[in-house]
Amino acid sequence: MATPAIELKSVSTVYEGERVPAIRDIELTLESGELVAIIGPNGAGKTTLLETINGLLPHTRGQVRVLGRDVARCGPQLRSHIGYVPQEFQFDETTPVLVRDVVLMGRYGRIGLVRRPTAEDRARAQEALELLGLAELAERPLGKLSGGQQQKVLLARALAKEPKILLLDEPFSHLDFAAREGVAELIARWHRERLLTVLIVLHDLEAIPQSCHRVILLNEGRIRHDGARERVVRAFALSYGG
Amino acid sequence: MTRMYGLPWSLIFTLLGGAALTGATCGLLGTFVVRLRLSSLGFTMSHAAFAGAALGLALGIEPLTLALIGAILTAAVLGPVAERAKLPADVITGVLFPLTMALGLIFLYLAPGTAMSSSALGLLWGSLFAMAGEDLLRLLGLAGAIALTVWLFFKEFQALLFDRKLAEESGVPTRPFYYLILFLTGVTIALALRLVGGLLVFVLLQSPAATAFQFSYDLKKIFFWAALLGVIYASMGLGLSFALDLPLGSAIVLVSTLGFGLAVWSSPKRRRT
Repeated sequence: MATPAIELKSVSTVYEGERVPAIRDIELTLESGELVAIIGPNGAGKTTLLETINGLLPHTRGQVRVLGRDVARCGPQLRSHIGYVPQEFQFDETTPVLVRDVVLMGRYGRIGLVRRPTAEDRARAQEALELLGLAELAERPLGKLSGGQQQKVLLARALAKEPKILLLDEPFSHLDFAAREGVAELIARWHRERLLTVLIVLHDLEAIPQSCHRVILLNEGRIRHDGARERVVRAFALSYGG
Repeated sequence: MTRMYGLPWSLIFTLLGGAALTGATCGLLGTFVVRLRLSSLGFTMSHAAFAGAALGLALGIEPLTLALIGAILTAAVLGPVAERAKLPADVITGVLFPLTMALGLIFLYLAPGTAMSSSALGLLWGSLFAMAGEDLLRLLGLAGAIALTVWLFFKEFQALLFDRKLAEESGVPTRPFYYLILFLTGVTIALALRLVGGLLVFVLLQSPAATAFQFSYDLKKIFFWAALLGVIYASMGLGLSFALDLPLGSAIVLVSTLGFGLAVWSSPKRRRT
């Protein structure tokens, strides 16, 4: 039996200084190549769940395994195989970094300490920039771009990593309709062609990709429903008027 | 001709070398201090170094040793506190700056001999004549070590200076690099203390880098310009100190502040295109 891409067993995460867990008793398995959407009301714990999976937030109970390895022990190594696009980002105009550097930074973990980026690394970064239609912005300072362009840069950064797993937290939130269509198609294509495991948090139920294998409804830090898209969306609409 | 301003050329070159190396070192590290908003930590460290040096004077121990201990201890304690407790910068400064300053003044008061002897005053606002050949060698070693560290780990530092959370997400372990920056800042402050003085050393960690940030978004260029501007500010401050018979630290502050003011005024980052 193949090793699951993501496996959470009885996982709870409590923020520093808090008493109530932001997510609790999470049991979740994603097989390699699955595309799964997470929905839920504000404050349900969706972002916490993603950041617990990639180890940016240390879990306080249970076990998180990614690609068969313990996140608590191998966090930095595993993160170099996980692309992540955060929901919250704010780069002011003075941020001292150019778009091309941000995208290349996605590969820094896999390049390793001390070593310099190779021609191959730069080629992958350039490819990601072109896929997102950002090639002309490569020499622009990140902080000078619009929110939507910055979100696309972060997605390019995640793809430049050539990840095995993609964690996307509201990846369309800053995009206009046309850009959203293009990015959704790109994610679906990468998932299909590269057998990526994708976990995508969405606020807008209509944005759930057609190719989604299952949908998870999260509320108050717990998984309430996990199953076929129509069934879970209906349950969400009934419970929360979504 | 063997003298300038009544001083032998050998001393002039030692001073110029000391000023240039202090400026370059502070400029390089200042890039981290400015971008990571470590100003309050650096400010507190510089006064802890001053308190340590003053204690050295009071106890008859080499002031540099205790200045180093003071600055590094502060970095070791405040770094984790600031990181874990997420204390606002002004809280750290507000509580610890008066404490380190008070301790420094008490130690100076307890120092044997005249309370405000020339060595004591030198600790406060820097002294032209405190710099010796061995200080120059120490500064040279430190400048080389910092330049090498930045060159070796440029991409890790670049990721950290861009966004710490995203750097971690890329697989770059940021904590060791963050603490390395604090440690090097502590050492730099302690070594710069003789020349610039405990009250004013911090300006060299702030102004050259803050000036460089006004002109570029490319971190390699910012590092280069911050180091060069550090050399320029410190050397021009030295010249001003000679010309107008001003305390060296104060002269460097005047030049640095003027340079930063001009940079903000003429910065292309503030121009509408």
